[in-house]
Amino acid sequence: MDMTQYKALFLSESREYLRAISEQVVALEQSPSEPGAVDTLFRGAHSLKGMAASMEYGEVVVVAHSMEDLMARVRDGGLKFEAGVADLLLEGVDLIDAMLNDVEADRPVTPPPGDYAQRLAGYTPPPPRKKAEKAPPPPAAPASPEAEKAKEAPALDAGTVRVKTELLDHLINLTGELVTNKNRLLNVAREAGSQPLNDAVSETGKLLRALHDEVMKVRLMPFEAICDRFQRSVRSLAKKSGKEIQFEITGRDIGLDRGTLEQLVDPLNHILRNAVDHGMEESAERAAAGKPEKGVVRLCVSRDRDRIVISVSDDGRGMEPQRMIDAAIRKGVLTPEEGEFLSPRQALMLSCIPGFSTAREVTDVSGRGVGMDAVNAAIQKLGGTLEIESEPGVGSTFTLKLPMTIAIIHALVVQCGAVKGAVPVTAVLRTVELSRRQIETVGKRQMFQLDGETVPLLSLNRVLGLPLGRFPNGILPLFVTEAKGRRVGIVVDRLLGQHELFVKPFGRPLSRMAGLAGGATLGDGEIVTILDLADLL
Amino acid sequence: MIPERLLIFSAAGEEFALNLQEVCEVMEPQPSYPFAGAPPHYLGLINFHGNLTALVDLGMYLGKGGRGAPGKLLVLDTKLAHLALGVDGVSSIVSGETVTGEAPGEEPLIEARLETAAGTVRLLEVEALLRGLEEGLREAPPRPQP
Repeated sequence: MDMTQYKALFLSESREYLRAISEQVVALEQSPSEPGAVDTLFRGAHSLKGMAASMEYGEVVVVAHSMEDLMARVRDGGLKFEAGVADLLLEGVDLIDAMLNDVEADRPVTPPPGDYAQRLAGYTPPPPRKKAEKAPPPPAAPASPEAEKAKEAPALDAGTVRVKTELLDHLINLTGELVTNKNRLLNVAREAGSQPLNDAVSETGKLLRALHDEVMKVRLMPFEAICDRFQRSVRSLAKKSGKEIQFEITGRDIGLDRGTLEQLVDPLNHILRNAVDHGMEESAERAAAGKPEKGVVRLCVSRDRDRIVISVSDDGRGMEPQRMIDAAIRKGVLTPEEGEFLSPRQALMLSCIPGFSTAREVTDVSGRGVGMDAVNAAIQKLGGTLEIESEPGVGSTFTLKLPMTIAIIHALVVQCGAVKGAVPVTAVLRTVELSRRQIETVGKRQMFQLDGETVPLLSLNRVLGLPLGRFPNGILPLFVTEAKGRRVGIVVDRLLGQHELFVKPFGRPLSRMAGLAGGATLGDGEIVTILDLADLL
Repeated sequence: MIPERLLIFSAAGEEFALNLQEVCEVMEPQPSYPFAGAPPHYLGLINFHGNLTALVDLGMYLGKGGRGAPGKLLVLDTKLAHLALGVDGVSSIVSGETVTGEAPGEEPLIEARLETAAGTVRLLEVEALLRGLEEGLREAPPRPQP
């Protein structure tokens, strides 16, 4: 029987089981007194083995079988669930994940290391420490949210169907085209001066917005889909650095656009790794500072109207704004005069400048000054913003604010010479009409005052390599955005207003062009490019 | 290997051919919209059945002619790229079987020189053309001027 037609389904379901196993292993390690969770873990490996056997992927069967046996020993009370068991199971998850990648790429499946099955079969836990023998048995801890979660099996819900992601993308495209055409009709209605037509199109617009929202909901995936990677990452780094960390995730069920979710993994991982590696003190240092020996890192996801807010906070050593400014001056990123103008918030954002790092030590995970600028750029590419708050000795919080959707956006359309460009409104802090009299010159830079802060000016024409605009009436239109942690006034020839745009990605060759995040069609059929400010500035 | 069918066209006064399978549509010129930061052979963007498509003056890109209004637009297969080539005109579609001679192309982007009933034409290699265009964009990204 030809099983290739079931390959996609096998891969999708297997990865779900792997994700569930991975999450449950970490959860069990925190709350080992959950027999129900062990059963669920056992069933996950068993189902995975069964599916692989029916698809004749023998290597996957061997690994899943070994994991199943180990879990059976735990379930039957022959083995206590502890870190060694968790390590072996997570190793199995990684092995199977690599095999699934081989299956997906139609490559021969990489066989597992010869001793993996033996190590699992012959595993005995390390002898307990003497100190632990003296201690009274710990009371049964209340089930943590992680363990509660672990009780739930990754079951197929009879009320759901699997839909290919291409179909969802196609639905979004169609909805986007309808939004573009609605804008075109609005233009026609305005030109024709027909109120009934205008009303009908406006009503259609509301229905389209509702349709768009529903289609977007279908594309949403719970944040949980990527949680296991963070748990693994924090666990492994805490182990490596010898720090005691309690990692908490809230808001797992908050839905994010599939595309956004995929692109959040690396930035969030980086922030979390920084929090563990640099933010968190060693236990002894914490105790000396009167803090609990175990540090807490929290990853919280919430929804604020049409935005997703993700924060990573730690109760570690925090950051000192003045130290950031001093480092920036030392590295030539700032002049001492510029340093004086920086607010504490701006000083913390200096960490997002390429090559900037105040880490005293370079480790294999962070401190190379190549991280936070990439994180900030990735967030801005998604139309989001990054804020950093920190208090020395108390901890730091990194907050990401992201739009719910990246397909249909509200954008500020601007004109520079003969070119029109669009900037997502999420990247626009405000628009300003500036009189030439308000411009100050500091060194070689032109600046202006905004809310008591000195903000540098930059010409978008210059950035785009276009002839500079002339402003015969002495008024410079500009929008304020944030670049590399600082507010910047971007001068344009004209501000053309806010538009609802359906963003389309470019194909070859423009997909390789820096500074463009796609394009969109305005109501009059004109095409504008979406400017990627993070890339351009 | 000679394609089954060839689209013969002219650009900057010279005869070229494309594998017909790599061409999606031949269009009349239509309004294009400029965008910043690209080399001058990019004439702008056009809307091709909903795809935002870059319009490139082929003669200019090949360094054989100035920027003039194209006579026809050759839109490449959208599975390959979102690219339209502005050319002088399209003369014919010929069967590969009518090619009477083949010599290696001695210029970049030219896969072969083919002898056809319409005369000698140079067969464009689309993948090399795309790679060249992409390379050009990477070399000249929009960046702040000093």
